[in-house]
Amino acid sequence: MPPVIACSGLVKTFGPVRALDGLDLEVETGEVHGFVGPNGAGKTVTTRIILGLLRRDGGEVTLFGADPWEDAVELHRRLAYVPGDTNLWPTLTGGQIIDLLGELRGGLDQTRRQRLIERFDLDPRKKARTYSKGNRQKVALVAALASDAELLVLDEPTSGLDPLMEAVFQDFILTTKAEGRTVLLSSHILAEVEKICDRVTIIRQGRTVQSGTLAEMRHLTRTTISAQTQQSPDGLASMSGVHDLRTEGDTVTFDVDTEHLDAVVQRLAALGVRSLTSHPPTLEELFLRHYGDALGNDEGAPGSDDESATRPAS
Amino acid sequence: MTTLTGFGRIARFILRRDRVRLMVWVVAITLITLASAASLPAVYPTQRSVEGYVQLFGDNPALIAFAGPGYGFDDPNLGLVLVNETQLNAMIALALMSIFLVTRNTRAEEESERADLVRASVVGRHAPAASAATVIGGANLLVGLLCALGFIALDYEVTGSLALAGSLTCAGLVFAGIAAVAAQLTSTGRAALGIASSVLGVAFAVRAIGDVAGNGLSWLSPIGWAQATQAYADERWWVLGLCLAAFIGLLQGAFWLSTRRDLGAGILPQRLGSAHADRWMTRPVGFAFRLQRGALLGWAVALFLMGFLYGSIANDIEQLIEENAFAAEMFSAQGGASLTDQFLAVAVAQLALVAGACGIATALRLATEEAAGRAEPILAGPTPRSTWVGSHVVMAAAGSLVALVAAGFGAGLSYALVIGDPGQIPRLIGSALVTYPAVLVLTGVAVIFFGAFPSIAGAAWAALAVAFVTGYFGDLFKFPDWVRRISPFEHIPGLPAEDLAFLPPLLVAIVAAALIAFGARAFRVRDLRAD
Repeated sequence: MPPVIACSGLVKTFGPVRALDGLDLEVETGEVHGFVGPNGAGKTVTTRIILGLLRRDGGEVTLFGADPWEDAVELHRRLAYVPGDTNLWPTLTGGQIIDLLGELRGGLDQTRRQRLIERFDLDPRKKARTYSKGNRQKVALVAALASDAELLVLDEPTSGLDPLMEAVFQDFILTTKAEGRTVLLSSHILAEVEKICDRVTIIRQGRTVQSGTLAEMRHLTRTTISAQTQQSPDGLASMSGVHDLRTEGDTVTFDVDTEHLDAVVQRLAALGVRSLTSHPPTLEELFLRHYGDALGNDEGAPGSDDESATRPAS
Repeated sequence: MTTLTGFGRIARFILRRDRVRLMVWVVAITLITLASAASLPAVYPTQRSVEGYVQLFGDNPALIAFAGPGYGFDDPNLGLVLVNETQLNAMIALALMSIFLVTRNTRAEEESERADLVRASVVGRHAPAASAATVIGGANLLVGLLCALGFIALDYEVTGSLALAGSLTCAGLVFAGIAAVAAQLTSTGRAALGIASSVLGVAFAVRAIGDVAGNGLSWLSPIGWAQATQAYADERWWVLGLCLAAFIGLLQGAFWLSTRRDLGAGILPQRLGSAHADRWMTRPVGFAFRLQRGALLGWAVALFLMGFLYGSIANDIEQLIEENAFAAEMFSAQGGASLTDQFLAVAVAQLALVAGACGIATALRLATEEAAGRAEPILAGPTPRSTWVGSHVVMAAAGSLVALVAAGFGAGLSYALVIGDPGQIPRLIGSALVTYPAVLVLTGVAVIFFGAFPSIAGAAWAALAVAFVTGYFGDLFKFPDWVRRISPFEHIPGLPAEDLAFLPPLLVAIVAAALIAFGARAFRVRDLRAD
């Protein structure tokens, strides 16, 4: 089966700014695909090209095997979209907007609509003008999740939601996946991506830097170990594969390359382990590795939520 | 700490933040009023022409409804003409200034939650509302002072000038008070604006009915009070005191109401809407109608009223022109048709321009929707771009058509009532409809700008300016023919004064269709703009 979304060497420029610079992205049928990068990396621009709202300047892009610019209308029947910056009509109520977006797409499932509204704790009778950012996002999410679309394209859909609602959202995404539907989830909330995504594509400055399952990526990376030992952990630092070793009191913390894990753990055991924690690298750590040089710059800091598609970071 | 602590600092802050807005309102209202005052001596140079004006005015209910009760007509002077020509317009402008600026500095601030920051500091409960009312009251006072000096400098009688200027200030003050109360009632700035503007509308209508009927009903309207000052006749100063008392009373009322509610909340409960959309509004054209219906209704009503006003004075125009050298010059140049029909043709042309403005405003909604990011969710669904553009173009075309019919109907209705000939209604609707192709060209220009030059879509209004300038100053400044022919309205026969011709309007209609098609096409091949 061809991939649902396939981008290769995608280029998009805005005047002198190269927002996308040879980006690759492949989303398979039935997977939840995380699309991760710092603000200004080009996530929203890519999404808009996939939706045929922007025209690519170079490279290839297919959606369900067709050209998203030429066949926009037919393709849009098969997908639902939640924009990152959800702008609604201030004089309409949330319920009216959900119905509008659903009916334009050809109808929505009323039972599912009702259940989503209840679970997301949304009052559909309020005018959109009075909604907070989180509530506006809920409106767009309910409209998208209540549809039968084969593909959900979600651009930072949870940036305004509280943790409780994030959990509800993740529940619904897992249900969606169980139904065999495909999800493209662009995000910089790493915990969320780790929890619900099958595969991840990491981009930076308009290019793909890494793509694969989380397991595949961790294979390439180090494990973090913290241990208290009876004997002083001298000599650990000089073992091959051990990095960034630091000691605080009687606790030693270090990263270790996967291929040297066995030898290091045996050495630790010989020192007499009193407590031990180890964890795979979080996406945060993957990020740090890829974007370490951008830290300290605002645009590199995950967590701020105002991504600007047209003004990518230089 | 009292309830007014921080009054001075907040007042200075409002002055600083709104300095440009305040200046624009004050200068615009003052200049327009004084320009009118300056032009009157030339238009009514003799006592006889003033008497003619007064006589015309006293007999015409439409003029009374749109200007004021008229008084002191047994002893006519130019000041009375000044009152009739400027007072009501200036009072409405000042009332709107008060409503917009008071709401902006009270309820809108609370709605944005910036007021939380202010009120959490050393600021008394009533200080924000009191400062807003004081600063905006000061702006009303300034307009009154400048107008008084201007009237006097223009050689109008001193006592009357002070009374007229005082009535303007006082009307503005009353509506500052009304806006302060409205701001307490609702939780959104928009709703507060709606309430205060509705009060203004009712105040206008009540005094219009009262003035025409002459039954004292006008005393229920604050605009009626201000008009009862009787400037340049038998001045009644105590009426100004009534207005001031109302201002202070309303402000006290607003203070009292604000102690009955939480910050950010309104006295009136927040109204909930429907949890479901009606089926018709989930179709593209239905949805465009849902978004634009309020504005379209406003255009239609405004054009009906304008038409009604023109129609109501058409029959008096011959008399007016005989006594007015300036107007005579304007109309006598054209031969053939009667003066009345010439006047009606000019009126139809003016109304058509306003209908054109309706088309531009409605079509430019495309640009606003796109810039606000609200086109994106629609176009990311299976709605073709051409359908989305078409839905709003249909609104612009249908809306300006309805507006034209309303204008023709209004003019025809009042003219028919005056001369007792119902046949004038279809005649003037028909005259208005002939201009429709030119009106559509303006919509087409708006669609072209939206499609091809979206970053400067607002420049489409220049087309209206061109049509206006060529239409009004073309003769005066002797523009060459080719310049005048840029305006689509120049190609439309000026009914009812000229004969109907079919070919030119048809060609103009084709141009309009081509503009719309090219604009839609340009949008289809460009990127959707992100905010």
